[in-house]
Amino acid sequence: MQHDDVADPARRAMFGRGVGVAAVAAAAGLVLAQPAQAQATGASKLQEVLKRGKLVVGTGTTNPPWHFEDDSGNLTGMDIDMARLLAKGLFDDPTKVEFVRQAADARIPNLLTNKIDIVAQFMTITPGRARQVEFTTPYYREGVGLLVLKDSKYKNYDELKAAGSKATIAWLQNVGVEDYTRMVLPEIKILQVESVDATFQSMNAHRADVTASDQSTIRWLVTKFPDRYRDLGFGWMPNSYAFGVAPGDPVWLNWVNTQIREGFLGVSYDDMKAAYKKWFGIDLPVAKVGIPSEYGLG
Amino acid sequence: MRYNFNWPVIWRNSDKLFDGLLLGLGIAVVALAAGCVIGILLAACRLSRHAVLRIPATVFVEVLRNTPLLLLVFFMYFGLPEIGVTAFDNTECFTVTLAVYAGAYLTEVFRAGLTAIPVAYIEAGKAIGLTALQRGRYVVLPVLFRIVLPSLSSALISLFKDTALAAAIGVPELTYGARWINVNTFQVLETWAVTAGLYLATCYVLAISLRLLERRYAMVR
Repeated sequence: MQHDDVADPARRAMFGRGVGVAAVAAAAGLVLAQPAQAQATGASKLQEVLKRGKLVVGTGTTNPPWHFEDDSGNLTGMDIDMARLLAKGLFDDPTKVEFVRQAADARIPNLLTNKIDIVAQFMTITPGRARQVEFTTPYYREGVGLLVLKDSKYKNYDELKAAGSKATIAWLQNVGVEDYTRMVLPEIKILQVESVDATFQSMNAHRADVTASDQSTIRWLVTKFPDRYRDLGFGWMPNSYAFGVAPGDPVWLNWVNTQIREGFLGVSYDDMKAAYKKWFGIDLPVAKVGIPSEYGLG
Repeated sequence: MRYNFNWPVIWRNSDKLFDGLLLGLGIAVVALAAGCVIGILLAACRLSRHAVLRIPATVFVEVLRNTPLLLLVFFMYFGLPEIGVTAFDNTECFTVTLAVYAGAYLTEVFRAGLTAIPVAYIEAGKAIGLTALQRGRYVVLPVLFRIVLPSLSSALISLFKDTALAAAIGVPELTYGARWINVNTFQVLETWAVTAGLYLATCYVLAISLRLLERRYAMVR
């Protein structure tokens, strides 16, 4: 790793496992064998970012309202605004961000290889991912919903469920898709494709009858294309979206957490409020003055 | 580098890789077989004296050979249903696309093969009174296949590797299986290392077996 500043027993342990592992890893294209440097314990990603003068953020380009390109090709969306909230906290300048455009399955590899400082790409907190990277506190609670074409023969969830294996549902190939689907549609056929836009294309091309997607995305699409899509009005599987950071750097993790918390509850509230209103139409309530709500003493 | 290795999780899900490998090989073989039929017919058209056969065949081959395969797959899978063609599911759709694509490539192979058949063989066939159809069946085709065998071997390996693109439309072949393990376990490094190893081993075994076949049948020239 290029900026491996923290003392790292994990790396030494890994080399201890022998040449075989290292050879396979090298074959897979990950650079492992950087010469060991004198490492200043305590130096954090935070210092590295401040010194560099800009934040390098991994995100996607094709998923409104999270991260997508506006008409002039600039990245915009909730994830983008969250990244800018961090930049504002770091440099007093929300524009000091370099976005690295990446596919969803590059989120963890790009963090682990230090290509990016942080992931802002509607990343769901899951225990499996948390074994590889660390998550900050969440900035949104998402749920899964069902989207159909406007003229779909399925008027509601019950009709879709009754259709059993005659119907097909399109998903982004993602963690736990089979389990999540079977919870609510035990017999439906599942089609997993490799990007979110391909899930909608599958439905447009009548390859699938329904698309499972984020409720926020469904709301966005139905608002934008009322003649094309319809919300089936069914939701399940609450899950949390958070930033992901490389593991083992508590200083950096804590800085980001602090900035998120103060977005909801403290001095950065105005930016968080604006983002929630703009992307979800949600009015963020103002924190109550007095005993901090974190202690639940109301 | 902070990465927690977990190899057992790959073996636990290895059925997805092996089923995927078999499906990929199956698709490649079917595409090659169908591609040979398409290729021979189009090669004959391209060598025809009649422009009405030659020109459409040439256009078809050039268009397909100069278009990315993934784009053709998307066109067939997402595009054609918009005008009502929904006859194939995703695996069938990919196989058909790959067969047509292989056909365009093999057209050039067979065309070169046909022009390489010594004229004396054809004339010998005529001399012993074979009809045009018999000459094709007993003289041209056997010789043609011996000439193009090395090209067909590399075409099969190349088509097998192309099946990785089918993951984009959810065909459960090897790359799809690897992606499945990847997104469900996040063991990126192990997943792709094992998958690359499987592709490598399969292609290598294919190459060696086909080389033995070539040594036995290919025309020495």
